[in-house]
Amino acid sequence: MAELSVLVVTFRDIFQSEAQEAGRYGEEYRKASALILLDRGDADRAGIKDGSAVTVASDAGSVVVNAGVDQESHPGVAFMPNSPWSNQLVSGQVGPSKIPEFKRIEARLSSASGPVLKIEELLLGIVQG
Amino acid sequence: MAVCTGCSLLCDDIEVTLESGRIARTKNLCRKGLGRFRSLYSERASPRADGSEVDVGDAISRAAEILSGAKRPLLFGWSNSTLEAQQAGIALARKLGGVIDDTSSFCQGPLMELVIRGQMPTGTLDDVRNFGDTLIYWGSDPTSSHPRHMSRFSYFPRGEKLQKGFEEDRTAFAVDVRESPTAKIVADGYFQIPPGGDAEFIEAILSVLDGKMPKVQDKKRMISFVTTLKKAKMGFIFPGLGLVYSLKDRLDLFSQLVARLNEGVPFRVIPMVGHYNMRGFNQTLFEQTGGINQVSFADGEARRGQENGIISALDSCDAALVVGSDPVSSLPAAFARKLAKIPVVVMDPHRNLTADLARVVIPTALSGLEAGGAALRMDGVRVELAPVVEGASPSDAEVLARIREVV
Repeated sequence: MAELSVLVVTFRDIFQSEAQEAGRYGEEYRKASALILLDRGDADRAGIKDGSAVTVASDAGSVVVNAGVDQESHPGVAFMPNSPWSNQLVSGQVGPSKIPEFKRIEARLSSASGPVLKIEELLLGIVQG
Repeated sequence: MAVCTGCSLLCDDIEVTLESGRIARTKNLCRKGLGRFRSLYSERASPRADGSEVDVGDAISRAAEILSGAKRPLLFGWSNSTLEAQQAGIALARKLGGVIDDTSSFCQGPLMELVIRGQMPTGTLDDVRNFGDTLIYWGSDPTSSHPRHMSRFSYFPRGEKLQKGFEEDRTAFAVDVRESPTAKIVADGYFQIPPGGDAEFIEAILSVLDGKMPKVQDKKRMISFVTTLKKAKMGFIFPGLGLVYSLKDRLDLFSQLVARLNEGVPFRVIPMVGHYNMRGFNQTLFEQTGGINQVSFADGEARRGQENGIISALDSCDAALVVGSDPVSSLPAAFARKLAKIPVVVMDPHRNLTADLARVVIPTALSGLEAGGAALRMDGVRVELAPVVEGASPSDAEVLARIREVV
């Protein structure tokens, strides 16, 4: 696939919230969270298929998630459910408001560098980081 | 009737059928609320200290030891606790000379502060149902975050003065970067803006109010939108994180817009706070200290300051008590790493990432289901919670009182 630059905006999804309540260690929560929703034109240009794994990298870090192709058009913008996966990409640098940039993350997508990590593996990365 | 603590709507019409002391059936829950009720029986926390299974009493003793041994303990969470637990938490922070903060610190805090200080006109959800004829969901998506908001209060129901509901009496708009499920419901009322485009959108509305041409692509549509706003009998704006995160230090621009709208017609603001009792914590702390969050009790005096918000406090605090929250999941990884480096005590009904790295875990009752108390709905209305089932764990308030006795 060709590299793709996007602005990532995180959002809340009711199915993800339900899955989190049911169990944040479960496969359902991972599926609903480790996800990036792309504009169809962007996905086509970069050669990204719906459901394929991609690496999303920002200046703060990188994470492997599954790509989804949206029905709605939003070129240059990608949406990720707010979760420990998206939080790998949010910068630790904050401005005067001290609110992290959860909803404006400059990121690059490339071929998946590995599998989508389980939540326990993300935690291990945080503890060892 | 039971109350659902799945979000800050605190729906109080939940019918529950018990069989052998367990919840067998429910009525009226949304998908998110059903998840909260089902969580009674999944991934419950168990008491732990220093890597070993212990009993609750020993976990409480070890927690007290860690907190009283810290020079600057951070007491964080609180948005998923009852008012009684929040009061007990503030009392504990005071006794420890520690720092207390909640999730509003990096969430709806800046906007909620204006509401609580009386600097932003607000109203109740019952006012919305009865009188709210012009609605703006701004950077919020209640269909996903507060699933019964539109059906119980804001869009679909008939109200005292709005007997024809959404078909004729209510006009709704959504301003969002994403065509959310809510945006799809309001259909032609949806304005798509670019990420960070909220300030520009506000300026465009202000331009029209000033009688100038707005600097937007579709000028005619913008003028028609503002004309509708000016004709409102009672308008409501429901700002979500999309708006707060986009404006950040420029919230004054939003205040300016609300003030301008109110020169002509009444327009009220109800922030779409997520957790069920975030408003309760903000209000309780404000009444006791003058600050809605980010308060330190060092030297016996309450002081508000950004250095006491979790984002900054993680650089200076040497231990943390986390109550009903999972900051390791919800904070950017860079901040979660800082939390992982200090001793953490977790009080929570469930296992979560913060509990997994904590030195002490104290399981607590799920409030509203296993423990009673009270909470403030997103609009500040007090709602009483009564336990539905008997649980095995003590309430947050009980655990906090026991810790306070021994620190």
